[in-house]
Amino acid sequence: MMPKDIFIGEVFANDEVRKDHFLMKIYLPPAFGGALPGQFVMLRIAGLADPFLSRPLSIYSFTAEKHACVCEILYRVVGKGTKILAGLIEGSQLEVNGPLGTGYAMPDGAKNIIFIAGGIGVAPLSLLAEHLCRNRCRSGGEMTFYLGAKTQEQLVGVEKIQTLCYGVHLCTDDGTAGKKAIVTDLLRQDLGNYRPEETMIYACGPKSMLRSLGTLLDNRYRCQVSLEERMACGVGACVGCVVAVKDERGDTAYKRVCADGPVFELHQIVWD
Amino acid sequence: MEKRKHKNAGALCVDLAGLRLKNPVIAASGTFGYGQEYADYVDLNQLGGIAVKGLSLKPRAGNPPPRIMETTGGMLNSVGLQNIGVEAFIEEKLPFLSQYDVAVIANIYGETLEEYSKVAAKLSAAKGVSALEVNISCPNVKNGGLSFGADPKAAAQVTRRVKAQTDLPVIVKLTPNVTDIVLIARAVEKAGADAVSLINTLTGLAVDVQTKTPRLKNITGGLSGPAIKPVALRMVWQVAQNVSIPVIGMGGIMNAEDALEFFIVGASAVQIGTANFVNPRATMDILDGLETYLQENKLKHISDLVGTFKVSGI
Repeated sequence: MMPKDIFIGEVFANDEVRKDHFLMKIYLPPAFGGALPGQFVMLRIAGLADPFLSRPLSIYSFTAEKHACVCEILYRVVGKGTKILAGLIEGSQLEVNGPLGTGYAMPDGAKNIIFIAGGIGVAPLSLLAEHLCRNRCRSGGEMTFYLGAKTQEQLVGVEKIQTLCYGVHLCTDDGTAGKKAIVTDLLRQDLGNYRPEETMIYACGPKSMLRSLGTLLDNRYRCQVSLEERMACGVGACVGCVVAVKDERGDTAYKRVCADGPVFELHQIVWD
Repeated sequence: MEKRKHKNAGALCVDLAGLRLKNPVIAASGTFGYGQEYADYVDLNQLGGIAVKGLSLKPRAGNPPPRIMETTGGMLNSVGLQNIGVEAFIEEKLPFLSQYDVAVIANIYGETLEEYSKVAAKLSAAKGVSALEVNISCPNVKNGGLSFGADPKAAAQVTRRVKAQTDLPVIVKLTPNVTDIVLIARAVEKAGADAVSLINTLTGLAVDVQTKTPRLKNITGGLSGPAIKPVALRMVWQVAQNVSIPVIGMGGIMNAEDALEFFIVGASAVQIGTANFVNPRATMDILDGLETYLQENKLKHISDLVGTFKVSGI
């Protein structure tokens, strides 16, 4: 894994792809190295006192070129930090701390590779789908993406996953795009086609979605989820971003989303 | 990781009642993990000391989330002193830290006097610990939950019990959540503390106006960051005038200028806490800034700056 460090990144695009949803493209020095699908960066505008803390954002796309790396962040404006990020223009500089956290485990020859995302949760799973496409020999499975959102305006990243996945199933809560359904119900209808021992599932989305996924999938299914939490440091020091996780012995402990995750086994998460 | 260039390393060494540090910049407890978390960003050999995450006799799960909330100029936390326990620290974390030329300051806490004693004894028997820092901000379960640090008698008792168990220098870390911090500082000095460090976090609250609920599951949390710096400076100034043991200043130090303020009002060393979260290299930037300031002001040694505060000069 690449050592973590702080890099100065330069924004060269920051476009509103949908209302309140932005795609930011950042040039980083080659030393940034690489990013595993599921990893994230902490972004901060150097010298800015408010907001006080950096913001954790998952990596949507990553390419290493000869003289620079290009990191793409797909994000939704939800508060003070993301609002300021959305205002950055071409040429703005950012402090980029990363790459941080663990990545997803590879599917190990699973025949069915299933992605299920809610809203902006599409971002880290897109990078994973891209990675698996590039390394076809290692995966070889058939990739199917289930993506849901509240409404059409929040359904982002569709074009990219359509070029990567064999099947893409879309839904919205209000029926303005795709089927009128919630995404876990969409998967439920197809679940019979995916035998647990031949299937690897990856998920990212709101807690309510992940929680119902936990109920939908019995323990025979392997499902990895990446979680989102408020963070201060992003490197495991502040112990602020914890989630309750059950270990092999059945003991529950608080694990740090930033350093022990953000990827966890779905069945180990203890929902409150 | 960027390498630092030394200007005049000897100008920064300090001796805090037997705790010798190559420079007066210490990473504060609870903000630097067990050192490992920042080893990619900072050459730990460059630090004066590392105050490790607070250790208790038994591992502690900590508080349920959400545990942190950003506030104006700082943050609230209610981590609840989650830690791996003193034994796991000695077995799993201390060997890593011992590879470095850095003073390991073991921050300890307990809910009873017995717990403080036992943790202190275990750490004193281990190799690689340079000093103990005693967190007295936690509730005393045998005294209705009032914090040890809020009561001069209880604070003195803890200090005596820890001192009795160790030959290591004992730093008592004071809470600002008291009416008169000088009373507590004097009490622990009298009880044998080798140094005091201050301030710990200020108890605070944040409210979600949509749900009308607290932002933290624990309701209240400890406020840290630049928002608390003026309070910390005032308390360090007051304490430094009223005790003769060294004072380690902390509270919202983000850069070298902030650190300099603490030295001027009487701190012999500083701890850098929440700044590490925002800038993992904050300690290194501060060290560079201190060296530059000494050079520019033709000061031979950092101690020439300590307590040079001129209240009549304004």
